Amino acid sequence: MIRVRFFTTLRFLVKREDIFLDRKNIRVRDLLDDVQHEVPVQFLHKVLDESGGMKRGTLILVNGRHVHHLEGLNTIVEDGDVVSLFPPGGGG
Amino acid sequence: MGGVRMKITDARVLRVNLSKGTFIEEAIDEDMYRMYLGGRGMAGKLLADEIDPAIDALSPENKLIFANGLLTGTSAPTGGRYMVITKSPLTGTIASSNSGGSFGADLRRAGYLMIVLEGQSKKPVYLSIKDDAVELKDASHLWGLGTADTTDRVLQEFGDQRGKVACIGPAGEKLSKIACIINDKHRAAGRSGVGAVMGSKNLKAVVVRGTNNVEYKAKDVFTGTVKKKNAMLKENAVTGEGLPALGTKVLDSIINQSGLYPTRNFQFATFADTEEVSGEALVAKGYLKSNKACFGCPIACGRYTVLPNGHEGEGPEYETGWAFGADCGVNDLIAVSEANFICNDLGLDTISTGTTIAAAMEMYEKGYIKKEELGNGPEMKFGSSEAIVYYTRMTGLREGFGDRLAEGSFRLGEHYGHPELSMSVKKQELPAYDPRGVQGHGLSYATSNRGGCHVRGYMISPEILGSPEKLDPQELAGKPQWVKTFQDLTAVIDSAGVCLFSSFALGLQDYTDLINDAAGFNLSPDEVLMIGERVWNMERDFNLKAGITPDQDRLPERFMEPIPDGPQKGAVSHMKELLPEYYSLRGWSKDGTIPKDKMKQLGLENAKVKLMRKSG
Repeated sequence: MIRVRFFTTLRFLVKREDIFLDRKNIRVRDLLDDVQHEVPVQFLHKVLDESGGMKRGTLILVNGRHVHHLEGLNTIVEDGDVVSLFPPGGGG
Repeated sequence: MGGVRMKITDARVLRVNLSKGTFIEEAIDEDMYRMYLGGRGMAGKLLADEIDPAIDALSPENKLIFANGLLTGTSAPTGGRYMVITKSPLTGTIASSNSGGSFGADLRRAGYLMIVLEGQSKKPVYLSIKDDAVELKDASHLWGLGTADTTDRVLQEFGDQRGKVACIGPAGEKLSKIACIINDKHRAAGRSGVGAVMGSKNLKAVVVRGTNNVEYKAKDVFTGTVKKKNAMLKENAVTGEGLPALGTKVLDSIINQSGLYPTRNFQFATFADTEEVSGEALVAKGYLKSNKACFGCPIACGRYTVLPNGHEGEGPEYETGWAFGADCGVNDLIAVSEANFICNDLGLDTISTGTTIAAAMEMYEKGYIKKEELGNGPEMKFGSSEAIVYYTRMTGLREGFGDRLAEGSFRLGEHYGHPELSMSVKKQELPAYDPRGVQGHGLSYATSNRGGCHVRGYMISPEILGSPEKLDPQELAGKPQWVKTFQDLTAVIDSAGVCLFSSFALGLQDYTDLINDAAGFNLSPDEVLMIGERVWNMERDFNLKAGITPDQDRLPERFMEPIPDGPQKGAVSHMKELLPEYYSLRGWSKDGTIPKDKMKQLGLENAKVKLMRKSG
């Protein structure tokens, strides 16, 4: 299972702390789409811009490492990984 | 006199001789504003001109300066900051402690850029300012009171509830090296023991009410500029959403998730119970009642908190929540908040108090501090809610073991033969980011002019938060230049009297616009940034003369050992490797001293702050 955690203002918006998805070997970008499908509240627009890229200030961590310094939204997430989502401003 | 319009650069210096009980007013040469802006810069230079940097900070020869920035008390967004400038009894360096609230704005409206307090009163006094009516009043009946009671009593005597009070509690009275000055009951000029300097002068409080208005060179232009900058603050996600919603405790989760959240006196870099004490928890547990704003601030990052037992007040801030939380291994948000309230009332720096207790916890765990020494106090164990509340109170009152804690973690460690367990730089305790996890920020810690400090060059912003752009925290290339730029720009912001948080949305050009449009100057952004560089070098020069040698630009030895846990496991500090390039970029010699040419180039050689005596 992949654990996706919501923090700060995103947590207040989505009204949950985390969600578990049964996936493996999936790009962050696709994982986010899958999470949005599972969650009734629209939240993707808070972290992604119109072109589908990360908004300036959005922070996404895979096992504590910022995807900025990995492969961005193409970073591969594996079974057992933890993905942490921070919206702009919600990361500080 | 009151209710008049005062040209922005006509604000004066009020010089108070506490030994004689006399006052002098001085006007400031307008060029001084162009060179230093005000606040941290101008008051720092004045201090450097007028005292021998090597004196004892608690002697009557030290001076205590309350200093507004150029824009404090104007309609500039976040224009409510003032600073307390003095020589620090904790570090021996220059101290420049920043605070918000409303005190600075009223001081400006009373007509003053600065109050310079000299000498020592024979008996406890407080300073009362109603526009230009100034007097020293007896404070013997206030001595021993907490800051909340002091504020209430002083305002009652002052006869105007719109007055603003800055005061010390028992901690400052008893000369604790980690004592702060509290203004508006809940805001703090926190660091470096400035409260002890105030206590050493037998000055209990300053109360001020100002009714004049600031006159701008071109009001309509300035009003338009202010409007634009306010809009930028509203639109920015940090200043418009994150900080209003969670305050500075918006940071707990990201810092912990990124693996640099110092835990148990910096032994670890992640805290398993962060969810219990985070900014999100403060909301979810229902303790957060509302946010609060300082004078002229559209952000409102302050927290008003009410606990289930009815205790209430402002905070805890991120640093406070961390110092009493993860750093002490405590996962009890109520205890953390209580410790915060006690610090505010007794007048203690929350960062230094929490981290000094954390250092004591490690010393106790290792058997250096014995149970018998704690008297009736609880065991000094990591994770103890009881210990953080009890020992904070004891520290504020200098009672029992608290008397030793009141000296700060370095002197505590020295006493037990283990100063290496004090997580401090130049004897000031480090704040809430493990430098092994952020290389640029580590360099900032080591080179800050006031010792362990995060706000003098907040490299967390680019290295973790991605503002203005995301840097790799473990990358070394380019970091010394970033640190220098952040340090210089921050010095500009502090000297201008606006809030550091405005820099999440505003840049150098924006500050240049505000300064020029308010004062009618014609400075270029480069000239404005050079003001920051000038201030930085002035402070370092003071420190070198105070005997703070360049070899103290270093971090505790713990940070040469790898982080043992979390996503940054294995990381060590490379700050030493960055230092030579940093010195070179600063134009300093290889040994970290400042060449005469550099001082000349910045206009700091043989150039005192020009003041003209007006009365007294």
